[in-house]
Amino acid sequence: MVVWAADVHQCKDSGMKKTENVICMKKICKSFPLEIGGEQQVLFDINISINTGEFVAIMGPSGSGKSTCMNIIGALDSATSGVYELYGRDITTMNDDELARVRNEYIGFVFQNFNLLPKRSVLDNVMLPLMYRGLVMDDRIRRAREMLKLVGLEKFETYLPTQLSGGMKQRVAIARALAGDPKIILADEPTGALDSKMGNEILKFFNKLNKELGITIVMITHEFDIASYANRIIHIYDGHIAYDGPVPRSESVLTKSEQRVHAK
Amino acid sequence: MTFNDILKESWLSISGNKIRSFLTVLGIVIGVMAVVIMVAVGETVEKSITDQFSSLGTNTIIVRAGMAQSAGVRSGNRQTLTLDDAEYLGQLPDVAAVSPVQNSAAQAVYGNKNQSTSLIGVYPGYTTVQNIEIEQGTFFNYSAVRNASTYAVIGPELAEELGMPKNPVGQTIRVQNTPLTVIGVTKAKGDSAMGSQDDMIIIPITTLKKRIQGSRFPNAVSMISLKLYQDADNNLVIDQITELLRERHKLKDDAEDDFQIQDMKQVMETMTTVTGYLKLLLVAIAAVSLLVGAIGIMNMMLVSVAERTREIGIRKAIGAREKQIIIQFLSESILISFIGSMAGLVLGVGLSQGVGRFILGYNVPFSLWPVILSVTVAIVVGLASGVVPAFKAAKLNPIDSLRYE
Repeated sequence: MVVWAADVHQCKDSGMKKTENVICMKKICKSFPLEIGGEQQVLFDINISINTGEFVAIMGPSGSGKSTCMNIIGALDSATSGVYELYGRDITTMNDDELARVRNEYIGFVFQNFNLLPKRSVLDNVMLPLMYRGLVMDDRIRRAREMLKLVGLEKFETYLPTQLSGGMKQRVAIARALAGDPKIILADEPTGALDSKMGNEILKFFNKLNKELGITIVMITHEFDIASYANRIIHIYDGHIAYDGPVPRSESVLTKSEQRVHAK
Repeated sequence: MTFNDILKESWLSISGNKIRSFLTVLGIVIGVMAVVIMVAVGETVEKSITDQFSSLGTNTIIVRAGMAQSAGVRSGNRQTLTLDDAEYLGQLPDVAAVSPVQNSAAQAVYGNKNQSTSLIGVYPGYTTVQNIEIEQGTFFNYSAVRNASTYAVIGPELAEELGMPKNPVGQTIRVQNTPLTVIGVTKAKGDSAMGSQDDMIIIPITTLKKRIQGSRFPNAVSMISLKLYQDADNNLVIDQITELLRERHKLKDDAEDDFQIQDMKQVMETMTTVTGYLKLLLVAIAAVSLLVGAIGIMNMMLVSVAERTREIGIRKAIGAREKQIIIQFLSESILISFIGSMAGLVLGVGLSQGVGRFILGYNVPFSLWPVILSVTVAIVVGLASGVVPAFKAAKLNPIDSLRYE
């Protein structure tokens, strides 16, 4: 059983001001073994600190290591070296079951392909994380209905995901992510499978969640336009952080940052 | 996850693929049904044999005329036993009753009805030897044997088939032109594997030999049945019979016996062993189909794990622990096995009782152990066939599973 620090932890090494800290990654490296022998390093000394209420976009081209970074943030994968603290607790050394509990209680996932269970109703899908948490049925239903109301789908609870449009599916996924009252929403290319209109709706909804409800959102994307909905961009290039700061006026700032990585 | 959650999740997964689940369940249904029916068949055979022997009694010894097999050839039905032998055997201390037995087939005629039946020539002691009870009238006595009286005791089935009045005592039937007066009717015993015990005519052996068969050797007899006292030692009596008959037949020391002794106790023990093996064989054959059913479940579960890789990834991403994934997949295979076993049990018991009892007319025994077997099979087969797929599912990497197309 994981015992969580009751007080809000501070990421002392990040050099940031004393704020409520959710994610604190220190010198995170990740390597994958290669079939031909040896290994390939995809992340190099990544230091990321994210505080409560932030809306952060992790950007980077394909193969830059942003998905690996997301998997580590989402406790789906472990770092090869370095320390990852989530809400003040070092999760680097946790076993699979402890990580599963972390995912269930602290992280709400929103995937590019929605990843809903196709043969379960909308309500069942939203209730799923609550079942694994061990909530009684009445509480699950009550909480899931609240979330469906929040995303405007309260009338669709008996529908199957296959009967919904892409935008609606993604809203169901957001409701599922929010149902467990997570510390962060981790969205992996949330608009990737949607047309631009629906994509914009989802992004505006994220903005609303962030501004009105103060929910911390970490979004992975490779598009600057989408990333600019956030209030901070972490640009990863070739496994290094090339840029970490507020959304720049133009993408060229990020391109220049890539050159600095090259120069190193 | 509560028990209800597990049951609901399993049911939704199974019912999500109806045809495949139905076919998998069918494998277990057929397997369990086959085992239940085979057990019922085996027990019916066993019971019918036991019943037969208990109606005859295991303390019965039969002495047959003629040598045992000699160089593969039985020396025929030589009339080496005589009525005198029977009387001497009857004087052995452990013998409660004795009767020579001569079996024959005959056409019985009553009025305009004609019926083929078995004709048995015996002594009055036959009622004790064969546990025969008299329903109406009486059995003939020794004076009838001495006088070769034309008295007959008939089975109730024959009386009915010949269309005789409710009380046939005093009526006359004809057997090969010999009129026989019915003086008694036996109590119904039911069918046995050796034929009906209620369709027969019992007459004094002398009447059969002299009046009906017109035998040249009226004293010769093919078989002598003996009933021993309950506490008698069968082997000791067999030794005494052998000694007595060898002496009476004046056999030299090196000569083979000119008779055979059959101990019903031994016969029954042999039959019980044989039916035991038969039952085991039947169940073993049926168990093979159960094994095939179990392989069917494992196959379905493995396919299911492969198909639901993405679902497993989603569940793990949102917080399912390995144990919860294992429980989910194991409960699916147990549920399939449980449904199949219960359906197989109901069908098996229904068919064996229905067909056996009402169509074939056998008294099929109902035993509890097919029920225990089915529940055990449901759990064991479900667990055994589900454990590999369940662990495979639980060990899937959530990242790879989520990417799985």
